[in-house]
Amino acid sequence: MSQLRKDPIVSRWTIIATERARRPAAFVDPQSVITEQKHCPYCKDIASPGIYESHGVKVMNSTSPILDNSKPFERHGHGLYDVSHSFGSHEIVLETPEHIANMADLSKEQMVAVFKTYGLRMQEHRKNPFIEYIIAYKNYGVAAGSRNIGHARSQIMAVPVLPMRVKDKIDGAEKFFDYHERCLFCDMVSQELKNKERVIVENDHFVVIAPFASRFPFETWILPKNHHCDFAEGIKGHENSLAAIMKDILLRFKLGLNDPAYNYMIQTSPVKNPSAFKDNYHWHIEVMPRLTRVAGFERGTGFYICPIPPEMTAAFLREVDIHA
Amino acid sequence: MPELRRDPVVGRWVIIDSEHSQGPADFPKDNNTPTHQAICPFCPGREHQTPPEVDAVRPLKSLANTAGWLVRTVPNKFPVLIAEGSLQKEGIGIYDQMTGIGAHEVLIEGPDHEKSLTEFTKDEMQAVISQYRGRFRQLAQDRRFKYVVIFKNYGSSAGATVEHTHSQIIALPMVPKTVLEELKGAEHYHQYRGRCVFCDMIAQEYQDKERIVAENNSFLAFCPYAPRYAFETWIIPKGHSADFSSIDETAQANLAQILQDVLKRVKKVLNNASYNYYFHTAPIGYANTACYHWHIEIIPKLTRSVGFEWGTGLHIVPTMPQDAARFLREA
Repeated sequence: MSQLRKDPIVSRWTIIATERARRPAAFVDPQSVITEQKHCPYCKDIASPGIYESHGVKVMNSTSPILDNSKPFERHGHGLYDVSHSFGSHEIVLETPEHIANMADLSKEQMVAVFKTYGLRMQEHRKNPFIEYIIAYKNYGVAAGSRNIGHARSQIMAVPVLPMRVKDKIDGAEKFFDYHERCLFCDMVSQELKNKERVIVENDHFVVIAPFASRFPFETWILPKNHHCDFAEGIKGHENSLAAIMKDILLRFKLGLNDPAYNYMIQTSPVKNPSAFKDNYHWHIEVMPRLTRVAGFERGTGFYICPIPPEMTAAFLREVDIHA
Repeated sequence: MPELRRDPVVGRWVIIDSEHSQGPADFPKDNNTPTHQAICPFCPGREHQTPPEVDAVRPLKSLANTAGWLVRTVPNKFPVLIAEGSLQKEGIGIYDQMTGIGAHEVLIEGPDHEKSLTEFTKDEMQAVISQYRGRFRQLAQDRRFKYVVIFKNYGSSAGATVEHTHSQIIALPMVPKTVLEELKGAEHYHQYRGRCVFCDMIAQEYQDKERIVAENNSFLAFCPYAPRYAFETWIIPKGHSADFSSIDETAQANLAQILQDVLKRVKKVLNNASYNYYFHTAPIGYANTACYHWHIEIIPKLTRSVGFEWGTGLHIVPTMPQDAARFLREA
């Protein structure tokens, strides 16, 4: 019997369609990396100066930025519409000097350097008084919105508004905290660890789960076991653990799902008024293989149809042998 | 200069990338899947290959589940929600779940396998609209349902898996999130100003003119000021109306006309791109009808959403809406 499940954070309902559950192998979307190393623009860029550089990780301004912080942020109205120019920053993080496509194939040490870089750039962007939110994210593979260049990179955007999905999460977490005086994500971590069926892997500081109300097949969340609202502060001292668990889950995708396209995004608390989020928000990372297409129903309703129960995807990913 | 814009209904911010505003030629061509007429279960003569029909337009009064229909609605063979059973809600620790009760129907828009909506005659198009309304009214009578969604996926990259022209209808036991957000925004606006935000939007679109795509006596088609997708186009009744299923015969004919008109423009300008459209209408039994205003959103599938958009809901739109409207208007 199919189920409807509600995400306790943003109150988003999901249909878990067990009637049409497909076997994991039916979702295959292999990547063919086409750019040869000699044509890779990022291999050339690695020699040019960037905004920040450390341990083979380099941060550069996007060559086609959609945000621009050269002018101060200003909002105005146009009749009933609100408008401002698109103030903010848009940076590219080159994760390695080597021509390696998938982050799963980087060394753990290299991944540590990437996560430290995210944290440092976030600390830098929050100094700008107009910035409300900073997101670090990755698009790997064409189906995830990336160009097929074959050089591991991620992006950081700093924006002057609180994006809607972020606000949904924060509102949900606040509501839960007001009522229970506990962090929703901390409760989630303990319930998932007790229940086990949606846990894919864990280490000392992190647990990876297939969320109860997944929107997409093989959607996974990396949740810190220790409460902290902010990524940049929260990872301090835990960078090695995070790199280990990220490498683990990305290898499970690569080996178990035939190198699929994927996105990940770091969900952290808003920049302004940090004390308001200290107790009720809990940073985490959403990692999403891109195996299905979003159709009219999902677009029109925000109501996602996940064609496979998360318990089944968690079991599948748990059994992938990443040491083979 | 790029702009950030906020949708006045749900408060959603978008980035309008006017620096690199793209024309229709900048998007890759879409490869629609080839036709497999020989095995199509939606073609006349194969009525037995679908579940028994729930409704059909049969001008010559032919028997149910035989050929001779103009539009035919059948339960989806692979439904995402099941119509039989009662609605049961349950909590598991911090999580809530309920049984997947609902209806999932396929509306086969015409008997001709080769014909898409843009090639329909006026009568054929009107039969589709009339069937939409009929199914909506029927499903709205089931007390377990709170919302009915009518939608269409055209082309494989918009999620269509069968090429024979069809739409889908899903009846849900709750109001979906995107609609709730619109309702909340519209109610808030109405409380504050005593007017319908959509009616105000129509007035401003007439004033600004640059985002209008087409109009007739009953409907306006325009590219919204703060869209989520390139070439996103809305069709909205000019007069205030919360509930799609309340439209009269004249409005049905006008809706058939403007929907086909916009789809023809989209097809021509965007090189037969895949698209989705869906109806946004008031929930079943919704009382605050003064606040809400039903409409259709048409979304050509031109770009892939990236991690940033998934993570934030902050969409990056590569075409200015007034440019999109001009391309569509002049087609």
